[in-house]
Amino acid sequence: MRQVARVLVLVLGTLAQNAWSAGVDGGATPLFSWPPAHRGLDWLQILPLVAAVPAAAILLVGLVRGRLLPAVATAGIVFLPIAAYALGALLVLEDSKKVTFCGSCHVMTPIVASLGGDGDSLATVHYRRGLVSHEEACFVCHSGYGIWGKLDAKMAGVRHMLRTVANDYTFPIEHVGPFDIDSCLNCHARSATFRAVDAHQDPDTQQALFKREMGCTGVCHVAGHPEEALKGPAS
Amino acid sequence: MIRLACLLVLIALVIVAIMAIRPGGPSAILFSFVGTPVLALGVLLFGVRRWRDGALSWNRKST
Repeated sequence: MRQVARVLVLVLGTLAQNAWSAGVDGGATPLFSWPPAHRGLDWLQILPLVAAVPAAAILLVGLVRGRLLPAVATAGIVFLPIAAYALGALLVLEDSKKVTFCGSCHVMTPIVASLGGDGDSLATVHYRRGLVSHEEACFVCHSGYGIWGKLDAKMAGVRHMLRTVANDYTFPIEHVGPFDIDSCLNCHARSATFRAVDAHQDPDTQQALFKREMGCTGVCHVAGHPEEALKGPAS
Repeated sequence: MIRLACLLVLIALVIVAIMAIRPGGPSAILFSFVGTPVLALGVLLFGVRRWRDGALSWNRKST
């Protein structure tokens, strides 16, 4: 009986230790590894597969036999694959907000790596102080304001993918057009410390900012990303 | 033609499976610029085949 109790305690101890260490990042305690690791099923990843697997089975039969019942063929070639692609598109839309997604292309790898560095660029300072979400930092600052800002960010993402495929980019990477200061104002505009700054109260500066004749970075504030990171992976 | 359509759509489904299992930039590029056109081509081929079989005709006699 005592042996059984000892084994039970050992098993419970191991499970508790596993639960404690689940999602702990880099040896940090659970309080510092927020948000907790995803528990349960990731439906956005599973649903495209749920539609794709039966379609693939039907398609394999069609491939081998060379004919299918019209209704089965319509389901396997049209409806289920289109459903899988629609759900896959949702997954891309959602997943492309993540920093890991941006960092998965080698062009962006040094920029993402610099976020957690010791530099004094705006992105690094915001990231290090926890002023932006560590999961969606790129998207938060590059998506402007409201639904149109997010739509613009998605369109820019598609352009980035096209340029990557076509190998149509040069280093150092430069932001196309003026940076959308709505991203900055979205958080800073109502801040008392932001409003208290003399330069921010100056009518001419405000006009220039709203006409997009000047941005926050470059003139008054340091660059968004370190120069070295913009030079590409070899830097 | 049905075999070709099946093959194309199957390739597209493999790509969506890769996307679902390992989401990221490279798989999103594959999904957007290879998978989607291949799927569209497969569905188009199937549509042409069904059209040639007379399935899409308005005045087809129902059996």
